[in-house]
Amino acid sequence: MSYKVTEDGNIATIHLDGEIDMDVTEKAKEVIFPHIEAGKEVHLNLSNVQYMDSSGISVLIESHQKALEKNTKVIIKDVSKSVLKVIMMAKLEQILNLE
Amino acid sequence: MSETAQSNHTEKKDFLVRSSSLKDVRTFCREVFEKLQIEQNLKDELVLAIAEAAQNIVKHAYKDDPKTDDKMVVQISCKDNKLQIGFYDMGTPVDPNKVKHREIDNVKPGGLGTFFIQEIMDAVEFKDGKKPWINHLVLTKQL
Repeated sequence: MSYKVTEDGNIATIHLDGEIDMDVTEKAKEVIFPHIEAGKEVHLNLSNVQYMDSSGISVLIESHQKALEKNTKVIIKDVSKSVLKVIMMAKLEQILNLE
Repeated sequence: MSETAQSNHTEKKDFLVRSSSLKDVRTFCREVFEKLQIEQNLKDELVLAIAEAAQNIVKHAYKDDPKTDDKMVVQISCKDNKLQIGFYDMGTPVDPNKVKHREIDNVKPGGLGTFFIQEIMDAVEFKDGKKPWINHLVLTKQL
């Protein structure tokens, strides 16, 4: 998994790239969580993530819940069809902020 | 249903029980399903189910031994359009009665892997592992 972060004011845009599985979830958390903990609105662009398993879904849930605690939000953008299918299988499409 | 799935095909491969092996498990599955000419949507689902089962071995059966040099075996068989995937490991014995996913409406991290497996596959069965194996999980799906 690789990533790119850009910041514009209070918005941190994080582009993840690759496959998100148990092996990379700690790295994904290290990339995402500090921005949430700093109170930033996080735009998580998943257009280049073609595979995500339950571990990756857990990172999305944990990010969403941390953001609520910090009175901010995580917006998941440009999710690929294959990852959207997994999000829907977990019945999270109404819970997570998808754009 | 995949009309092009071959009638009889079996392949197996062993993998080090590590999270870093999960990518290799997926690659193996994709290659086999390519040969079986399984259509893309179903292929994606099957790869997810298999990777989740392999992840469970790493995460649960070897929870207390994360640096093990043990290997797990994944065997994919297709016979008469019935797909059977076997997993063999030498980790902590699994108690099938304790293998449960979380309530899907109780949104929290974790507990989804088993749910995905059950959603995707027709049957999930723990069998007695024959030596040297401790655990033998069998997933089946009618194609």
